[in-house]
Amino acid sequence: MRPGLITGGAAALLLLTACMGGTTEPGKDAAAGYDPKATVEITWWTGQSEEAEKVAETLAAEYHTAHPNVTVKTSSGAPTTDDLLTKLSAGFTGGNYPDVSYAYGSWAGELGGSGKTQDLTTFVQDPSFGWPEIPEAARQTATAGGKVIGVPALVDNLALIYNKPLFDKAGLAYPTDEWSWEDFRAAARKLTDPGTNTYGTAYSVSGSEDTTWHLWPLLWQNGGKILDGNKPAFNSEAGVTALETLRRMAVDDKSMYLDQTDERYWRLFNSGRIGMMLSGPWSLIELKEAKRSYGVAVLPGVGGDHQTVSGPDLWVLFDHEDVNRAGAARDFIKWLTSSQIDAKWNLALGNLPLRTAESTTPEFATYVKEYPGGDKFFANLANAKQARPTVPGYEEMSRNVGDAIAAVLQGKSSSKEALDAAAEKSKNALVN
Amino acid sequence: MAALTFAVARPVPARPRPKARRHLTGWAFVGPATLIVVGLSLFPAVWAFFISRAKWNGITAGVPVGWGNYQQLAQDPDMLAAARHTLLLTVFFVPLSIGLGIVVAIALNQRIRLIGFYRTCIFVPYVASAAATGILASFVFNPQFGAANDVLRHLGIPQQQFLESPSQALYVIVLIALWGEVGFTTVIYLAALQDIPKELVEAATMDGAGRWRVFRHVTLPELRPVTVFAAVWQTITAVQLFDLIYTTTRGGPLNSTQTVVYYIYELAFQTQRLGYGAAAAYLLFVVTLLLTLVIVWYSRRRGSEVF
Repeated sequence: MRPGLITGGAAALLLLTACMGGTTEPGKDAAAGYDPKATVEITWWTGQSEEAEKVAETLAAEYHTAHPNVTVKTSSGAPTTDDLLTKLSAGFTGGNYPDVSYAYGSWAGELGGSGKTQDLTTFVQDPSFGWPEIPEAARQTATAGGKVIGVPALVDNLALIYNKPLFDKAGLAYPTDEWSWEDFRAAARKLTDPGTNTYGTAYSVSGSEDTTWHLWPLLWQNGGKILDGNKPAFNSEAGVTALETLRRMAVDDKSMYLDQTDERYWRLFNSGRIGMMLSGPWSLIELKEAKRSYGVAVLPGVGGDHQTVSGPDLWVLFDHEDVNRAGAARDFIKWLTSSQIDAKWNLALGNLPLRTAESTTPEFATYVKEYPGGDKFFANLANAKQARPTVPGYEEMSRNVGDAIAAVLQGKSSSKEALDAAAEKSKNALVN
Repeated sequence: MAALTFAVARPVPARPRPKARRHLTGWAFVGPATLIVVGLSLFPAVWAFFISRAKWNGITAGVPVGWGNYQQLAQDPDMLAAARHTLLLTVFFVPLSIGLGIVVAIALNQRIRLIGFYRTCIFVPYVASAAATGILASFVFNPQFGAANDVLRHLGIPQQQFLESPSQALYVIVLIALWGEVGFTTVIYLAALQDIPKELVEAATMDGAGRWRVFRHVTLPELRPVTVFAAVWQTITAVQLFDLIYTTTRGGPLNSTQTVVYYIYELAFQTQRLGYGAAAAYLLFVVTLLLTLVIVWYSRRRGSEVF
């Protein structure tokens, strides 16, 4: 081998190591000594599709007018929100990542581990930020590895949405906020009619996060936990009871439509083939288009415990070792998530408001009028008492749990066996 | 090679050029192409190899694990299941697409009216993107509202779950893939059929061979080189089948259609296990390479060199 080749090979190796490595700089605050008057340009990946992206651009322009020294370069960042993580990871490798990016809450553990996020722990504690006004579960999700890495961008939760005409037709009373899962099961059975392809309820068995996170409220209501330290704990007795509740409907009663994709069940609900679904406030937007007559109740409970799960999304702030950019990004996000501006953003898009203070705004009244049941979802935020863990490896564990649920609901495995196997498979992912 | 021979063959060089300059000219010619191949194929391939020896999610720092990923692969039940699905898919898809290709090609080799129209019809599905084919097929095979079950109802056959049944989904995918790919094998066999010298067929007929014996002893042997090519090509297509699975089942139900390629996608881009995914990809590369070498070696031994 020629020496040139050896040098080249060594250089390539170094480059590869650099590409796979992260940076961690403990201690120093990313925005220490920030000059609010400095001229800066920050990049904002919104993760939004067309219409919402337009609203974002208007807001960025509005911010620029108020702060002429700050230009916010706005783009969606990726073709779909799901693709943002891939774009971000490519951006980290190439050293070309945004100052602020939209992120799913489930990515928080991984992004926090990148060493490229800002630490906002002290920043959000400032009374002017109003951190406690944001729901607890969302604040937990924005915290990864003990550090606040971003600010919640969107809050939601799961509740029970039901089709009123189907209940009327079956002569059943509408679901109430006091329902138990036995009430839910009985209603689902009565609503099911194979002759007209009508199902009482539905569940996604694609094995994705959509499959997994619908189980978590049931697990919590039964007194279970997802993790114990960094060990899987969902295969406890509570976990088995939770999954059994679903299995009885899917296998014994056949009152549950099992969706192999995540795309079909809500469409079938919208077209009046499904009586009840467990879904979030985003469904109201589609229900409005479908012109369905529906009602919203909190999730059925176990012994009066009706807690739900929240799937908050985040604005994650990244550090470019430039105090002025870091500071400007913080001020921008503080502005964007303030109750005044958030009303123009989330409420206008048909999402729940981020802060409790917004419930008295005229925008909230308009939102509730336009999307009936929105107030129920807002009140249900109080039932989101626990958050999904923000640890690296959650995604892989979620996939294993999703596969387990899918197997059980399709009668291929018992609840205990499937959950034990999923826990065993996930051990490795969570440890390091 | 050609340039070298040319240089040597030149009787009297006008003026011996400096060696370095000659090298430079050569590199100037091959440079751009080399850069593209190295930058877009070799570099990522080498990088993927280094990634395959680490535990890395693309975001946090990678942890070197040596051959750990490969050892884990050997014991991974999901990987084994994925390999079994890929194998099943290949075993059904390759012979069927070749067999059907020959049959349809012979049918389309007749002198009948509107033959050009029929030929176009057979080829159109191949031109349509697999994504479109997949979406269309998932409508047709929808168990509740699809056309396939409507047909079964009229024939008095029980309703099927098709893509939603773990035991049927893979075969339905083979069927959809065949629908899309038979156009390709048909076209190459049609070309090969028309290349068979008429004299051979005439001579055989003169000697008293019937239609079947002409086909068996003249046509089929003449098609052998094309068959080797089609076998390699369709094997690679089957092993790499991704878009159809992505648009129909996403590997489900219960991972029953999760092939190796789809599993790699899921590892690397769904659960962010880039190191483990890269190891699986390398394994697939080695297996595909060996498979191709075996087919090429076998065909050379039989005397038909197509590669």
